[in-house]
Amino acid sequence: MRVLASLALAVLLAACSSGTEEAPLQVQVFSNTRDLIRQRISPAETGLPPVTRAQLDALDGPALEVTLETRGAAAYLYVNAERDEGAAGQVTVWRTGDNSTLALRNGVLVATRGLGGDILSSEIRVSGGQPGPSGGGAHVMLIRGGDEEARRLVLVCDLEDLGAETVEIVERRYPTRHLRQSCSGSGGEVVNDYWVEERAGVVRQSRQWAGPHLGYLRLRQLAP
Amino acid sequence: MVVFTAGASAQEAVDTPRFRIVPQPSLNFYGVPGLIDMPSGEMLPEGQFTTTISYFGGQGRYTLTFQPTPWMSASFRYNSIRNWNLAGFPTYYDRGFDVRFRLAQEGRYRPQITLGLQDFAGTGIYAGEYLVATKTFETPPLGTSRLPGRLKLSAGLGWGRFGSFGSFGGFGTRPPYDPSNTGGQLSYDQWFRGPMALFGGLEWQMNEKWALKLEYSSDDYVTETQTTSVFQKKSPVNFGVEWQASPRTRLGAYYLYGSEFGLSAQIQLNPKQPPMPMTVPAPQPVAVRPDRATNPEAWSTSWADAKPAPLLRSLLGPILKDDGLILESLDVSADRVELRFRNTRYMSNAIAIGRAARALARVMPPSVETFDLVLVSRGLSLSRVTIRRSDLEALEFDPEAPDAILAVAGIGAAGPPSETAVFGRELYPDFSWSVAPYFAPAYFDPQQPIRIDVGVDFGATYQPAPGWVISGKLRQRLAGNLKDGRVSPSALPPVRTDQALYAQYGTTLNNLYVARYWQPGEDLYARVTAGYFEYAYGGLSTELLWKPVNSLLALGVELNYALKRDYNQRLGFQDYKVFTGHASAYMDFNNGLHGQIDVGRYLAGDVGATFALDRVFANGWSVGAFFTLTNVSAAEFGEGSFDKGIRFSMPLGWFLGKPSRKSMGTVIRPIQRDGGARLSVPGRLYGEVRKAHHKALTDQWAGFWE
Repeated sequence: MRVLASLALAVLLAACSSGTEEAPLQVQVFSNTRDLIRQRISPAETGLPPVTRAQLDALDGPALEVTLETRGAAAYLYVNAERDEGAAGQVTVWRTGDNSTLALRNGVLVATRGLGGDILSSEIRVSGGQPGPSGGGAHVMLIRGGDEEARRLVLVCDLEDLGAETVEIVERRYPTRHLRQSCSGSGGEVVNDYWVEERAGVVRQSRQWAGPHLGYLRLRQLAP
Repeated sequence: MVVFTAGASAQEAVDTPRFRIVPQPSLNFYGVPGLIDMPSGEMLPEGQFTTTISYFGGQGRYTLTFQPTPWMSASFRYNSIRNWNLAGFPTYYDRGFDVRFRLAQEGRYRPQITLGLQDFAGTGIYAGEYLVATKTFETPPLGTSRLPGRLKLSAGLGWGRFGSFGSFGGFGTRPPYDPSNTGGQLSYDQWFRGPMALFGGLEWQMNEKWALKLEYSSDDYVTETQTTSVFQKKSPVNFGVEWQASPRTRLGAYYLYGSEFGLSAQIQLNPKQPPMPMTVPAPQPVAVRPDRATNPEAWSTSWADAKPAPLLRSLLGPILKDDGLILESLDVSADRVELRFRNTRYMSNAIAIGRAARALARVMPPSVETFDLVLVSRGLSLSRVTIRRSDLEALEFDPEAPDAILAVAGIGAAGPPSETAVFGRELYPDFSWSVAPYFAPAYFDPQQPIRIDVGVDFGATYQPAPGWVISGKLRQRLAGNLKDGRVSPSALPPVRTDQALYAQYGTTLNNLYVARYWQPGEDLYARVTAGYFEYAYGGLSTELLWKPVNSLLALGVELNYALKRDYNQRLGFQDYKVFTGHASAYMDFNNGLHGQIDVGRYLAGDVGATFALDRVFANGWSVGAFFTLTNVSAAEFGEGSFDKGIRFSMPLGWFLGKPSRKSMGTVIRPIQRDGGARLSVPGRLYGEVRKAHHKALTDQWAGFWE
């Protein structure tokens, strides 16, 4: 019996497949389990390699840093696509090395992908080339639910200007205005903070809520 | 200088917005919402699927409960009673079904009222009916708890088992429990008959973790304590404490009937709430074409004269392949493209369609404005989704992106590919193989409630051309005890009761068949399969299905000539042969419920109909029940009187949190007999066709942009 059990174990570990047909269920389960065990043995680094301003200045394109507060995970992102939608602002899709994306409209988060429990789309208020939210009012998010559905989260927001503040990001100081968006709805409250650098026309730094599953994201535009 | 956490400190005290979660009631020893041994008037949240294990006084109960709609739940129970010593059972095993209906929802002053039928069809050992009301009150939070506590008061009126202690009045007489009954038939002649009694109790959920329960039971356990001596009953009062170990798991310890300690474990899950959210790698953003006014030469259509399809195909193929999609054919003209493709990765075909549309937007010259996306499976073109490229570009970041693109997408019949289409290269012949473990369980043998075989499957599939499948599976058993199962005598030809004879062999040919799929006309799908279908039967199987893309109704016919295989499951046959087949109607009731009726001839030559109802979720979960009535009498059928069972299927991706098209599931029959038995043919049409049609696509449409 013990011989059979160890033989069975050996076969389980050897479960494999090849071809265009989808792998059998057991093969998928075991490869997934193997990945989990590998992650447990050598967990992926959650901290980011430190960067210097000299390295950032040498970059060709813009760079963004994101931190998921709830998971303690962080990543650097590059620009995947940009789209000018005129009066509705400019949408920038930022991508991580492990295939997650954030879509920001004038620096305000409107969609996420590849994170799980993503924001499918959002209704927000921005105007033209002005970075950051342009006013209060309704903030509607469609969140991916567990049954392939889009669940609607309706918040009502106020926007206040907390005045000028200086932000330092990797050895460089930026003059910004601090905008605070306070929202409530669906049995809770959210505070989104934006540090807007008007001279460069960007949201230099922000802390934005990305829905019930993802929680707060912290974003810093490192370059340019 | 700004400290980054400036916003955070003000934040901690207040909750962030969340979706409302319907509170889940705790379960009783019978695995339905309730106190300890008594039920309550509560209902589970819609879709809830629970497993309860309870034990006291030599009695173990294992219950699955499912709540397909907010107002109805159904349960299946297996139980064991030690020292039963009746009708020759030292330990008695039984199975039973319950149903519960909500009569009134809880209001500000009104309690929730539920009507329950317990063990309403089996041998009736736990048979009882009840009407019970429950009212919930908030109590002040206890200790460090942030949430208020809840006090639930329940009171009910019971019949049968629930009317046996402190009984009064009643209507008519209730036939006594008969241990020699074959069971299975609805015992409506005893529902709400005989003496009634009152029961009640309270549950105090003190905080998130701990709850106390106290009840007065109206079950006198007459057979258990007077006819036999399973345990001694000294008091009608039961009490206990429960601990919510995790959001899905609850454990309880109790003292029952003044003499016995009891334990219970309750596991609740909901198909709408996966253990981890599905994470799909982010798609590439839609590539937007250059502006036509400022860049008119990019919009030229002269490229279309140069037979560009093979070049575009070679550009498109690898992009699709990265997303688990396989290009079957491509037909390009100056302003329109038709892509036929297979989805090998996502349970949601909407995700596959969205990704195929993005791939076309990356590759197609700007003048191509209309995208026709045709889902293909086994050589069958199942449906066509038509999308304007301008809409794709304009709506990706729309505030209502999923609904906005659905409103302008067309979903219709695929039709055959045109003559100018080019086909995917090196797709056929296609060969796939796999080595995978298998687990074959069998349930409810009185000697051994669960038997299982484990081993390895060696599978291979060869597809010489679209629509042709040649597939086989060799099975090597490594360990198991199915071979020790009983072969029970049967008045019918032993079409299923001799499974243990098949289980004697360790190395078997599980299946080996050739299948041909084609579309004989619009909305029609056809299949012919020949070979060894399953462990016990081979032969010839033919099927025709009518299912318009936008229809909720489908009709099908399946005709089979089945030969019974040799017990050693090599190439030979025994001399039992039968024509079996059914006419089927499939109905999607547009509320998550799917019904199916099959009328025809079964494996033992009996004639009748099977009725099935399943709750199907957009994410692939399904839970259902079925029963079959044929011209075989209850006496000829044997134990159980007629064939019935429950079935469920859960998508693998729901567990793993990553895309997969596989599901795991099982069919549980209280007992497998020879009446109402059906052939198992691989690759039946309806399931695969339905998933690519209008209703399933729109249910999952949120995935289009994922």
